[in-house]
Amino acid sequence: MNLASNALCFGDGLPATGAPCHVTVSADGLRMGPVKGSQLSEESVAFVGMSVTAGGLDHDQLVVSWGGGTSARTVYLKEPALIIAFRRAAPPTLLAHLERAAEQVRRARHSHRAWWGSAVGVVVGLGLLLWFGSDLIIEWAVARIPVQWEQTLGETVYQDFLSKETVLKEGPAVSAVQEMTQRMTAQIPNNPYTFRVSVVQSPVVNAFALPGGYVVVFTGLMKKAESGEEVAGVLSHELNHVLQRHGMERMVKMLGLAAVVSILSGDQQGLIGLARQLGLELATLKFGREQESEADVTGIRLLSDARIAPDGMIHFFERLSETDQARVELFSTHPMSADRAKRLNAELAALPKQTPEPFTFDWKTVQNSLPASEPKK
Amino acid sequence: MKCEILYPGAFPMVRVYLNEAETVKAESGAMVAASPTIDIESKMEGGFLGALSRKMLSGEKFFFQTLRASRGAGEVLLAPTVPGEIVLLDLDGVNEYMVQKDGFLAGAEGVKIESKMQSFTRGLLGGEGFFILKIGGSGQLILNSFGAIHKIELKPNEEYIVDNSHLVAWTSTTTYNIEKASSGWIASLTSGEGLVCRFRGPGVVYIQSRNPGSFGNWIRQFIPVSE
Repeated sequence: MNLASNALCFGDGLPATGAPCHVTVSADGLRMGPVKGSQLSEESVAFVGMSVTAGGLDHDQLVVSWGGGTSARTVYLKEPALIIAFRRAAPPTLLAHLERAAEQVRRARHSHRAWWGSAVGVVVGLGLLLWFGSDLIIEWAVARIPVQWEQTLGETVYQDFLSKETVLKEGPAVSAVQEMTQRMTAQIPNNPYTFRVSVVQSPVVNAFALPGGYVVVFTGLMKKAESGEEVAGVLSHELNHVLQRHGMERMVKMLGLAAVVSILSGDQQGLIGLARQLGLELATLKFGREQESEADVTGIRLLSDARIAPDGMIHFFERLSETDQARVELFSTHPMSADRAKRLNAELAALPKQTPEPFTFDWKTVQNSLPASEPKK
Repeated sequence: MKCEILYPGAFPMVRVYLNEAETVKAESGAMVAASPTIDIESKMEGGFLGALSRKMLSGEKFFFQTLRASRGAGEVLLAPTVPGEIVLLDLDGVNEYMVQKDGFLAGAEGVKIESKMQSFTRGLLGGEGFFILKIGGSGQLILNSFGAIHKIELKPNEEYIVDNSHLVAWTSTTTYNIEKASSGWIASLTSGEGLVCRFRGPGVVYIQSRNPGSFGNWIRQFIPVSE
């Protein structure tokens, strides 16, 4: 009797593409029926002595082997109905093999799906990242800028700026600001920056920090402050913008992809050229809301670490915002909202209580030493 | 349907004899000549969507041509585009071949062709693309290659390593993994082999003796660059 083939049999003396055969499952094993033109003769194989695995290109075929040496035979079963019948009839001793085979198939399919899933995920993720996550890309790019570049860049703009201003070289104001900076920077672990702080004679009530650790404090701010702690509060905030590399992030954001590319290609001169085009905009960059709160929080922690009364900045902002918000430049870049004050106070409350150490200078003396607001040109 | 390979070697042709009402499907454009009793139909194998997916996904032709001996027995001459050998395979209903997209030349009416998505790594690195043709059914299947065609027979668990761009077809009982040609990446690339496929039997792997991609690169240097 000739039947349609439903399996392929491999072994010595059989064609390499497999000899077609007709397999049926009986209670105690497999029955191999010959098909037309096949070299196989009818044969019954008991379950005892069989081994089972999954095989084929997609691990979707049941591979049954038996015998050894030249009489070793391997049959590939593909029809699902046949595979199910085999599983039902197989004795428990073979089931372990079968389970392993099924597990192989599941794993193969799973990894197949996982690969395609992750490939689709990566494509979608990249799309979303480019769409929504440009901030993340910027952070990633900025993290790759060497500190030394940042300093070269900051210094370029810093010198440009100072050359047009009257800078206080010495005096109580300069030493006071230096003392504040030293007390704070001493508390920064692994600080890669050398901070340089200049006091610039100007009625402007403001302070700013350039990338690379170049900080400018205007005498206008020092006159408005009622204590050294208030100035230290503002300074701490500015130092943290530098430490978190916020300036670089804003700059890369403004300059766009060209800057990112020049950073990645190691083109330092290109980056500095771009920064110079921006010039002093770099100094008056408006930071994002998240960057401000980050600098607020880390700023307050730094004050506390340096044992400087950390509420100075809050007092300063609150006092100024009540009286002359419109005239104070500091607010144009650091708007004081109720939310911000609340966040600052909450952060303050969460800090461990420490006894602040006063500064060595007397604030009134420092303020009195400040020259008249209008610099002589 | 009966097939005969004419001029075996680099520039062969296949003569297909058809009895009345028999058909053969061939790669579009493969017909060279035919008896006047043969009608040429264009048919989208697997329906419009099937054909579209085959076209879009595996790069195979959108239409196959169906040559039908509608007015009596006759013969058809078929030839592939590229110089290279032709091989005739008999499908018995259980056997299935995976064929890289340029390998199919023609097949009997009972031969079934579908596009199959490969696993991600195989598709990305295997060199045949993400989609290959899965050819099953019954009847004669005619494959063509670039250069000579070589058959590798593998016993159960026997392994063989093939440069992926030399693959033509392999049976579905054969599995393969993509791996580096040498143990290190640098050595793999500088050896000129890059990635290879490690096939594991049982089954048959057909390979071609020339690599179409390398040949394309080689010939490009002789093509004048237009402004």
